[in-house]
Amino acid sequence: MSVIAPDFKLSSFIKSLLDNIFWILLLLVLIGIPLVFMVLFVIPLPVIDGELLTPFLALSWIADPSRTLPIIQAFLETDIFRVMAFPGFGFAALLAAGTIFAERKMMAKIQLRVGPFYCGKFEGILQLMGDGLKLISKEIIIPAKADKPIFWAAPVMFVAAAAAFVALIPVAPGWVVADVDLGLLAVFAVIGFFPIITILSAWSANSKYPFIGGIRALFQMVSFEIPLILSLLGVVILTGSLNLSEIAASQSNFPWIIFLPVGAIVFFITMLAELERIPFDLPEAESEIVAGWLTELSGMMYGLVQLGSYLKLYAFAGLFVVLFLGGWNGPMVVPSLPLELIENGIEMGPITLKISGLAPLLSEVITQEMLNGTLWFVLKTVGVIFFIILPRGVFPRIRVDMLLDLGWSKLIGLAFVNIFIALGLLYAGVLGPGGLQ
Amino acid sequence: MGTATGIIRALNSGIKHLATKRFTLRYPEEKLKFVGDGYQFDPSTGVGIAGLKGRHLLFHDKCTGCQLCSIACEGVAEAIGMVKVPEEHKHNKKAIMPQIDYGKCVFCGLCVDACPFYALYMTNDYELSSFSKEGLIYTPAQLQVKPYVAQDSEIIITDRGATHG
Amino acid sequence: MNEIMPGLALQKVDERIMTLNVGPQHPGSGHMRLIVQIDGDYIVACDPDPGYVHRGEEKMAEYRNYILNIPHLERPVIHDSCNVLYPYVLGVEEILGIEVPERAKYVRVIASELNRCIYIMYWLAIYGIFLGHSTMFMWPAGDRELLIDLMEKMTGARVTHAFFVPGGVRNDLPANFEDVCLRYVNYFEKRIKEYSAVFYDNPILIARTKDTGVLSRQDAIRLGTTGSVLRASGVDYDLRKKEPYDVYDELDVHTNVMKEGDSYARSKIPWLDMLESCNIIRQALQKMPKSGSVRVKLKPNPKGKGLTSVYKRVESGRGSLGCYVVSDGKPEPYRLKLSVPSFRNLIALPYLLKGEKLGNMPSVYWSLNYWPVEADR
Repeated sequence: MSVIAPDFKLSSFIKSLLDNIFWILLLLVLIGIPLVFMVLFVIPLPVIDGELLTPFLALSWIADPSRTLPIIQAFLETDIFRVMAFPGFGFAALLAAGTIFAERKMMAKIQLRVGPFYCGKFEGILQLMGDGLKLISKEIIIPAKADKPIFWAAPVMFVAAAAAFVALIPVAPGWVVADVDLGLLAVFAVIGFFPIITILSAWSANSKYPFIGGIRALFQMVSFEIPLILSLLGVVILTGSLNLSEIAASQSNFPWIIFLPVGAIVFFITMLAELERIPFDLPEAESEIVAGWLTELSGMMYGLVQLGSYLKLYAFAGLFVVLFLGGWNGPMVVPSLPLELIENGIEMGPITLKISGLAPLLSEVITQEMLNGTLWFVLKTVGVIFFIILPRGVFPRIRVDMLLDLGWSKLIGLAFVNIFIALGLLYAGVLGPGGLQ
Repeated sequence: MGTATGIIRALNSGIKHLATKRFTLRYPEEKLKFVGDGYQFDPSTGVGIAGLKGRHLLFHDKCTGCQLCSIACEGVAEAIGMVKVPEEHKHNKKAIMPQIDYGKCVFCGLCVDACPFYALYMTNDYELSSFSKEGLIYTPAQLQVKPYVAQDSEIIITDRGATHG
Repeated sequence: MNEIMPGLALQKVDERIMTLNVGPQHPGSGHMRLIVQIDGDYIVACDPDPGYVHRGEEKMAEYRNYILNIPHLERPVIHDSCNVLYPYVLGVEEILGIEVPERAKYVRVIASELNRCIYIMYWLAIYGIFLGHSTMFMWPAGDRELLIDLMEKMTGARVTHAFFVPGGVRNDLPANFEDVCLRYVNYFEKRIKEYSAVFYDNPILIARTKDTGVLSRQDAIRLGTTGSVLRASGVDYDLRKKEPYDVYDELDVHTNVMKEGDSYARSKIPWLDMLESCNIIRQALQKMPKSGSVRVKLKPNPKGKGLTSVYKRVESGRGSLGCYVVSDGKPEPYRLKLSVPSFRNLIALPYLLKGEKLGNMPSVYWSLNYWPVEADR
């Protein structure tokens, strides 16, 4: 610590106080007023016990706690909650943040060193918050000859596409943000956006190193899209549907990885290439090009790209779990909730302890099935993420011509072998709608 | 399938290292321990005594102001200059002693080799930073002070890897 | 009409060929500039441009006497300093006519082998980074600390040890050094054997470096390369066996030779050399006389007699390092020339990179065991 604190001056103290108050007020106004408008006009107010829930009525729950739980239950069933918190953005961002921290600590342990350990009392657990605050506070520098509208929009488009991808992954039975019948096809469509956004961002920066990095990212992502799509066809053939929730539900007895191991391996390798992770991180951190297509991004734009990148990682891992590892299925480890007891209340002498809204909440929204499904999904996703992080510690970077050779010849060949295995299993009557279920 | 076995062996090695202990020395909570008290030289035998070449230690009751350390350093780093001291010693009639500029010193220890009177040693102290360049010039009075060092960490080799502890 | 110097003449610019400056401010080059001309993905010509770290060591050595030259001449390679001083010290001992005691020779051999391992670990760490393998940077850099700790116990400094002097070494080993050294060296050998699973048998590394930058046996001898580059091309030449100095003739040294001559062989030979060094250290620790002086006391300002010149060579971490000392009866040397292996290995670089893919450039360039600071002196 080599910073000498300046002497105390009353004028600068008062100035800093007023500055803080000003900024807090400004932020409250800028965020609070749109929020109030949204609540009053945009969100459809739920109907609880026959009454329309206005903000005044909502505030009266402070006086009568027995009305809060129905409000919370109604809120949990809205679309906004699904998009922002549970299977959507909040949950994914939490897992992504956990992934970044776990990656740094795991890499450090493989390399026999410590990793982040100053921020936060317990082994650096607040390191990400420190990084986020640092990125927010940095100046965003735009190169003079860059194409400004596209350059500003590219990181935001990246996060938007990643969030769209996250929206398609089902976490528990019935809990998915967008339950699309052609879910898998929508996934392919969203994945097709990423090379375009990368090349737009790289091209608009108008500089040498992002140009080379962007072209390499384009090569890599485009040449691995075909094996990606082909390797998933095996699962579609055996399940007979493109809906991700149905594919997850159809694995209630056994996961598809037992029958299609080749497809799983091909999907895993192409997943590493689409995420630009080592050993396929040519576009980013090469010792020839300084940082690839991320070179000119600074401050929060870089933060947004990293957020999008790790959201994509969670979404791919979730996709792998849903398609090959059985989704949310697993033995029931959550104890069954005592609904009768909650419905009637616990009798303790002269008083009956009863929380009136809890029973419908627990029997309709947060059921035992949903908790169990979420638990198994998270466990499996964490396992897949472990195996995505592990090659980062043990493999060097692959060369460009080796990459193209792998993507265009070897992986497509293996993917076709997988399709033949799936067709064989289907027509031999072993699996699919006719045989074992 | 040589490729597949190679990949699996590499991943296996990575997983095995998750169980190995970390090697990092958590400076400044832990500091390394050194052999002995610092580098010293015995002019009668002409051989040095092993130790860390850190900050110098000047014994005022032995230094005669012969300037041999300064002459030795002129060929290496020109970091030692002789200055007048206000003390009076019988063995130091000229009343000059060396002053060392740690901005220039390369810690080679040839000045210690040059001293014939057992007056200049080196110690285990290596934390010599300062906020200004003038603060790095240690006067003879500063060089007289024996440093306080709290060093007790060393490499321990166990079954699960080596650590600093 | 004066002849125009070749560097100033106007050259015809080909539309297809792009000139890249892999310069000193670049994460892939070290302190040196490489001017590379590429046609698409293939390198057409390469022109190395060393000289960024030239400090005039040889000229400055003429102003210092033999002892004061010690901290000065060890600066070309700071962590391999004992090997850089070794030929100088051997040469000066011959000029002054000094006979070095036996224990000093063994201590010198141990220090030289430890320094060789320290240098090769650092080189391996940078090789890992050039290939994008961050674990291969952390593991050698961490395991090297064991040996640096040993050097610190022995000499008092982590780098630039200033340990060798004409007449022996500067200080005796501390008490209990043999046990600690044996323990650390055994653990070190166990650690570097783990590198094979992650690095040397890694299929991605093998696919990247096998059959790239192939240097045939005749070319290796013709171009004048030395050290691990020569041994990777099938030439059995190690100065510790061919011209043994100090006590190497009493120790059992095995030379590692590989026939392929590609980048993979050149990256594997230093690792095998390190395993060999561990054996040499163990033998030396066993055979070392348990007591005895380690330094011959010299008169102040030692001088040689008349005009003499000596050339001595030593096998350092990179190859054969030679020092040519000319003395004319004064305490300072009249002329000092260091003949460094890095500069001689650099000659092979433009020859090897012609026709190579651009993606192979870092692996071929660094596999020539090249240390930029030493090449510039």
